[in-house]
Amino acid sequence: MLQTLPMLHQNKSWMPRLAFAPQNTAPRGDTLVVVFLRGAADVLNMVVPHGEDAYYQLRPSLGIARPDDSKKKKEERAVDLDGFFGLHPNMQPLLDAWQSEQLAIIHACGAPDESRSHFKAMELMERGVDDERGPASGWIGRHLATLNTGNTSPLRAVGMGTRPQKSLTGSVPVSALRSIADFHLGGDQRALQQMRMALSTVYQNDVMGQDTLSIMDTLQTLDPLTYAASRDAKYPDTEFGLALKQTAMLIKAQVGLEVSAIDLGGWDTHFAQGSSTGLMPNLMKDLAEGLAAFHADMFDHQNQLTTVTMSEFGRRASENGSLGTDHGHGSMMMVLGGNVDGGKVHGQWPGMEEGQLIGPGDLAVTTDYRDVLSEILTKRLNNPATDEIFPEYQPVMPNVLR
Amino acid sequence: MTLSRRDFLKLSALVTASAALSSCAPVYRKLAGDLPAVPWTALSANDFLALNRLTFGPRVDERARFVDIGLKAWIEEQLDFESINDLACEIQLSPFKSLKLDANELEGISNQLFDGYDRDTIPNELRQSTLIRQLYSKRQLYEIMVEFWSDHFNIYIEKGNGFYLKTVDDREVIRKHALGSFRDLVWASAHSPAMMIYLDNQANEKSHPNENYARELMELHTLGVDGGYSQKDVMELARCLTGWNVKEHFWLGDFVFKEDLHDTGVKNVLGLTIQPSGIQEAEQVIEMLAVHPSTAKFISTKLARRFIADEPPQELIEKAAQTFLDTKGDIKSVLRVILLDGLALAQPKYKRPANYVLSSLRMLNAETDAVAINEHLLRMGQSYFNWPTPDGYPDRSESWQGNLMPRWQFAFELIRNEIKDTKHNLKNLLDVSSTGILQDDVDALTSLLLGAPLERIGRDRLIDSVRAAGATEEETLQIVAGGLIASPAFQWR
Repeated sequence: MLQTLPMLHQNKSWMPRLAFAPQNTAPRGDTLVVVFLRGAADVLNMVVPHGEDAYYQLRPSLGIARPDDSKKKKEERAVDLDGFFGLHPNMQPLLDAWQSEQLAIIHACGAPDESRSHFKAMELMERGVDDERGPASGWIGRHLATLNTGNTSPLRAVGMGTRPQKSLTGSVPVSALRSIADFHLGGDQRALQQMRMALSTVYQNDVMGQDTLSIMDTLQTLDPLTYAASRDAKYPDTEFGLALKQTAMLIKAQVGLEVSAIDLGGWDTHFAQGSSTGLMPNLMKDLAEGLAAFHADMFDHQNQLTTVTMSEFGRRASENGSLGTDHGHGSMMMVLGGNVDGGKVHGQWPGMEEGQLIGPGDLAVTTDYRDVLSEILTKRLNNPATDEIFPEYQPVMPNVLR
Repeated sequence: MTLSRRDFLKLSALVTASAALSSCAPVYRKLAGDLPAVPWTALSANDFLALNRLTFGPRVDERARFVDIGLKAWIEEQLDFESINDLACEIQLSPFKSLKLDANELEGISNQLFDGYDRDTIPNELRQSTLIRQLYSKRQLYEIMVEFWSDHFNIYIEKGNGFYLKTVDDREVIRKHALGSFRDLVWASAHSPAMMIYLDNQANEKSHPNENYARELMELHTLGVDGGYSQKDVMELARCLTGWNVKEHFWLGDFVFKEDLHDTGVKNVLGLTIQPSGIQEAEQVIEMLAVHPSTAKFISTKLARRFIADEPPQELIEKAAQTFLDTKGDIKSVLRVILLDGLALAQPKYKRPANYVLSSLRMLNAETDAVAINEHLLRMGQSYFNWPTPDGYPDRSESWQGNLMPRWQFAFELIRNEIKDTKHNLKNLLDVSSTGILQDDVDALTSLLLGAPLERIGRDRLIDSVRAAGATEEETLQIVAGGLIASPAFQWR
């Protein structure tokens, strides 16, 4: 068929070569899952510094009670991690991963930008740059562009959502999937069969076409509704849970997934954010239950999987007059996976006393987010080109991986 | 066909009266003389290829006109784009008010005061209008050159205030000079606030020079990476460019030269000593770069890559570069050489996503408001003005061959009329030439889309495979048409 088409008579000298020659060639490493908490998550109520008196002075209503505070009900108290930090009670699903040392927390972590603007901070963080100058592509995009893993799958990098996250922007094609069904053809069973036949006829001599058809066939059989997770993992019935579940499905289907970017929004809690229950605790529940289910479901793949969470900045140390928190600075990252130096809160704690907070009263940043990402990129994804991924930045390895 | 002023007003009213553009489009396009009710003209393989390079995919009337007057006259007609009546397309653009506004006004309409900025409306209008022009303008070669220069002087619309400044750049830089003089084009681009912001020249100050724009001006806009400049030249040109900036208050968004940020020392760029003269220092360099032999070669190579082959023949590049130098960068003269000498040497080029989508819409004579089309382009990786790095959307075939699925989805959604506010009618399209026999209809469609019918064996295998999946005769024609648009052959132009 191919040979009969008028435009395709020519010899094959024009057939594709690699789009560009990345300087590093290496076998692919872990699958990386990047969870972005959009809106600036209030990390001080997620990983609570219960050993810090100032925390309770600054947050008389919103503060999460100490683990041993007998005046409060157990479900209102922080779950102790190391005697100084504790998890919000709704983050408790992550305790298993913590105890099996596969969850590391890097507190007071973030970016140098002090604009406290969501738009600007998110953009800079996704581009991996210090200020508006510098490359406009995303850090994951540059990771893909600087590492040739020999993987040409259209699902090498996937942004869960209607469009790829800015961090994925770059010269390597990425796919945006609201759901696995986005890699299906539309139409009823009959129409589908007809389209499939037409495609396999016109692509019968084309390797890339055949590969795409076979990924399409694989995905066509996957249905998140009937998917049976391993170890009875229960993903929350939310958009976030669905994105994690589908990431797990893609990894297990072995369709070439190297990076999955997932967003969880709604963290901009200026008003009535809730202490142990309410708006923000519900988000934490979604986050923790989702990550815990993913961790359990992917148990047999833990050695080839790293998950990282990030947010554009943290929130003010003190609560505001409407029982919420305003834009702050220092944030927190979590790294989850089989090669993580887990069960520890990493990073230097800057303290919350007057003189220790910065600007209008915000947690300082003692670990740059790029340090954490650089360590993951070099140690787990086999990409040493951090100078191109984070230009003009010299990472210091925070040793969150083993 | 020319229209009187009265006709024009009548047509404008017709458009304004209807919110859904696509539904009434055929009426006024018919009035504007666009739809010949004749069978499409058979084309030789060479003519089909040439038309695929000279348009975003030939329409039925363009095939007829091309065969009528021949390649040379077609090119001349297209180069003289201002004398092509494009009223029908212009009327379709009338809802996009932002296209005509200046920077200050654009800032005004996007500023929502307490709710920050609306960063979507203006870019969306620019994208939508770009697609409508590419689809419906009769000035196809001009639109191709607009696309070419938009890549060459790429601006990522999402960065900073680019979201509204790009509209000004599109109108005052790219469209104004797309078929004019290269010197005027690069001059306008250098004074374009959108470019200043995108390549950080607003941060280029005497005390902290920023080399970004200075480097790209030489590497990407004029000389090319091997064009014979050094890191020292970049730094010296950056010094010349200190103070080239954008107004932040009154007449905000306009170009301004800020004397106080300018480095007043003597500079030396490419061997030329530049005495302190404020804004004229960099302007002097731009004049030199615009007509530099390296620039002539670099621009000729890129043009030949767009129209002729990924690796264009050396002799063609040299001849075009010589013409560039002889005419001091007259774009039409250079294009004439590339097209008249080059098209006979053309090698297959993989369609970039927009070209793929546009060619199927144009060849099927589909009607669309281009909104949902842009969503498809986003998934294919070429929603306009969305390329972050300054090199523009890649032009080599290999860069686009990795992602077939969104193209297949588009092909079948289009052919099944499932794309929002986008319609085509296969039956009407085939009506004028149909014998009512499926095989003949498939042959006709294949000639339309691929330039010639398939060999009988291939055609029958395709028809049989779809029928074997239980398709009726009518469904078969539709699915085969989708298969042809999704096929490897249709990915190439």
